[in-house]
Amino acid sequence: MGIHAWRPRVFAAVLLIIGAGPARAQVAEVAVERRLAEELGLSIGDTFRIGPAVDSITKLGLVTAIYEPRPDPAEIAKRERHVRLHLPDLAALLGAPDRVDRYGVGLRPGVSPDTAAAALNRSAFGYRAYSSRAIASESSQTLLVVSRFHRAIAVITIVASAVFLLCIMLLKVEERRMDAAVMRFVGVRRRTIFGALLLEAALIAAFGSVAGSGLAYLAGAATNAYYRRFFDTGLTFSLITPTIVLFSVGLSLALGIVAGAVAAWRLVHTRPLVLWGRG
Amino acid sequence: MSGLNWAVQNLIRQRLRTLLAVSGIAISAAMLLDMVMLSGGIEKSFAELLLAKGYQIRLTPKGTLPFDTEATLDRAGSVVGRLRRDTAIESAGAVLGTSLYGRSRDSLVTLVGYGIQPEAQGIYQMQRGRDLTPDDTLGVLLSPAVAGLLGAGVGDTVSLVGRLDPQVAAAGVSRRLVVRGIVRWVYDYRGQPSVGTILPVMQALASGGRPDDTASLLLVKVRNDAAVPAVADRLRKEFPRLEVYSVADLVRFFKQRLVYFRQLSYILATMSLIVTVLLITTLLTITVNERLGEIATLRAIGIARSTVVRQVFIEGTVLTVVGAALGIVLGLATARYLDSILTSFPGLPAAFSFFVPRQESLVTAGLVLMVTGSLAGLYPAWLATRAPIAATLRSEAT
Amino acid sequence: MTGPIVLTGRNLRKDYPLNGAAVHALRGVSLAVRSGEYVAIAGPSGSGKSTLLQLIGGIDVPTAGEVEILGTRLDSLSDRELTRLRLTRLGFIFQRFHLLPVLTARENVELPMAEAGVPVKERRARALELLAYVGLEHRAGHRATQLSGGEMQRVAIARALANRPALLLADEPTGELDAATGGEILELFRRLNEDGTTLVVITHDERLAAQAGRVIHMIDGRICE
Repeated sequence: MGIHAWRPRVFAAVLLIIGAGPARAQVAEVAVERRLAEELGLSIGDTFRIGPAVDSITKLGLVTAIYEPRPDPAEIAKRERHVRLHLPDLAALLGAPDRVDRYGVGLRPGVSPDTAAAALNRSAFGYRAYSSRAIASESSQTLLVVSRFHRAIAVITIVASAVFLLCIMLLKVEERRMDAAVMRFVGVRRRTIFGALLLEAALIAAFGSVAGSGLAYLAGAATNAYYRRFFDTGLTFSLITPTIVLFSVGLSLALGIVAGAVAAWRLVHTRPLVLWGRG
Repeated sequence: MSGLNWAVQNLIRQRLRTLLAVSGIAISAAMLLDMVMLSGGIEKSFAELLLAKGYQIRLTPKGTLPFDTEATLDRAGSVVGRLRRDTAIESAGAVLGTSLYGRSRDSLVTLVGYGIQPEAQGIYQMQRGRDLTPDDTLGVLLSPAVAGLLGAGVGDTVSLVGRLDPQVAAAGVSRRLVVRGIVRWVYDYRGQPSVGTILPVMQALASGGRPDDTASLLLVKVRNDAAVPAVADRLRKEFPRLEVYSVADLVRFFKQRLVYFRQLSYILATMSLIVTVLLITTLLTITVNERLGEIATLRAIGIARSTVVRQVFIEGTVLTVVGAALGIVLGLATARYLDSILTSFPGLPAAFSFFVPRQESLVTAGLVLMVTGSLAGLYPAWLATRAPIAATLRSEAT
Repeated sequence: MTGPIVLTGRNLRKDYPLNGAAVHALRGVSLAVRSGEYVAIAGPSGSGKSTLLQLIGGIDVPTAGEVEILGTRLDSLSDRELTRLRLTRLGFIFQRFHLLPVLTARENVELPMAEAGVPVKERRARALELLAYVGLEHRAGHRATQLSGGEMQRVAIARALANRPALLLADEPTGELDAATGGEILELFRRLNEDGTTLVVITHDERLAAQAGRVIHMIDGRICE
């Protein structure tokens, strides 16, 4: 197709005819996607030339609609621009009046797409039939890879956080070793000291989890705002669902409590004199 | 007794906390290294891939990237001829990419076909057998995947079908060709079923037997690497109906496609550094607070502030160095794992890597970590110098 | 045998703020110590003994008054110069020893010499010599945490002597020790003074006070005449 969006300013001059150009027979009605219309300065009613190759841009197109394409995550990084024509117009433009790339088939209610596709494929020659779900699955492979990558990063982050948390809890608990020693000297039970430290760890973990959730929400909003602007799309890049919040809070609480428990256990099982620095 | 020995002994004194701190720094260092590799690896790997056979410039139909669409350029033969007459150009060749079918017993399998000019090709490397000659109209090269699909080896005959006519349920154009060799197609994804014939044969298969002088892509090898930008500019003026890309241009477009990963790598690298700083600062601050009495004593017996500060710095640096060393080993391992995930992108050339371990990546990550780890000791070091000697000794005595 | 004055304190005052009011730890104390003297400062808890020691040792700053060591007024020195003076002209011994637990006995004694820039061989030899002087040459390679209380205090004394100070200041050197071990420290102090070391010692220990050539009694931040 000869509409080129790589260098819109160059091609605006080539392609654009502002206002009513000389009326030719067979002006093709064209729906232009919003971004292309903005780049070329096209409005409804404008005419422009269109063609299948750089040196055969001869046909006139009339902008009859400007549309917003459905956001496709697999396509946002590409900078392709699309237009829509009536099928006969496009086929004539390409010099292949009886040729298409694909058919869309709507089934009657109750008919299974997979069954219908299988039936078509048994008798097919030169084409294959796929259910929409199969195509969606196939075209989602890229996004599945990205998901796996994100998950791997998340796992690494969780491991790092766990180590960090354990280290910090240990440090904070050890700061209190003199207090713990004195308490043991005066007869306070290990269980009581352990419980107090565990409660503290749980409170810190709970507070941190809530704060972290808030931070995640803000970061997600910032991510969406940034990438929507960057790619000029309405896609959602970061989605925080109740399930994700529950999982994250649960995990961070669990990690914090476990870290606090380990540190507290270590403290209460150290001899008081050693805690005091005399053992 | 040296400052280093003293610092090491202090760290060994609290084994568990030191171990945890070093582990935390190691994981952060690993993440940092991986992100440095990711941010620089994409473009380097892609550039190396493009230069695999030494072709520095590519010409494609206007408004397209190489093999990004089904668009073709006309009069490929005459364009190649003009390129070959250019004294600055060492070699030029055309490539046509198309889809076709191979007969495997009673069925047809979909293949990717490359029409090539063997005397100037930049898209495959021989593995077995021999290469095509420029006038070999009966020969074909197979990828290992196709050899398996068709059950063919070097010397066997395969049947390739160009167009299919569904209405008459027959092949439009087919050819029987002899397998000359098994090749690795440099830009293919893993397992891609690709075949290659000389350009006229593939043009005939693609066009259904009609006269055809189209190509998907022209490859140009410039004699002098330094002259590539100038030659590219000249070719753009000479062929205004074609896109002319140097390797640098293509890398730029590729980076744009993968901009998300670069941005993610910067964000994660920053977070790794923040974690490292927090870990070292927290550890050293608590350690300094615990040893205020010791520090006050040192100051009382005449040890200078600068010596105390140096000791805190050395401790932070030792933690960072040990953590970084472990982190580099861990980072190389996690990079392999992460690379195995990302290189499973559909359609990505098998030779491409996202995480490329290079010396400069290791050095960059190491240096950044060292500087950051040292700076992380600033606050606790400052804290150490602020301890009032008399008051601290008094409180230690109680 | 005493010589010229090495330490002078004139009208020293030290006040600490406490809940909005001022606590007068020292209320105008003056003293002079000659080279070779063995001075004990005795008094009940809260009489200002430790505060006085910290002022004359340059590790605290008086609210009023001045301290002079070997003719140098401490208030004329910068923090770096004061630190240097403590390193080279004074030796400190604390009630709680304050050795560095991760270093060996020898390394603890070497520490002030390393700071003073003494070459490695020389400071190692002197450290062993000092440890022999205090009777601990056989424990040179042991960490401080592996020593008994008395041994730690003897190492602390060796450390205080490292840079050949003009004046040794000791704050309750036998406070953490049992009677027998304290007696060993007493004997060491006596020997030090006989060998010419000037000592100023704060103590509750009557034996130590009795051993000193001069005893200064303090009550409520003042010297009792």
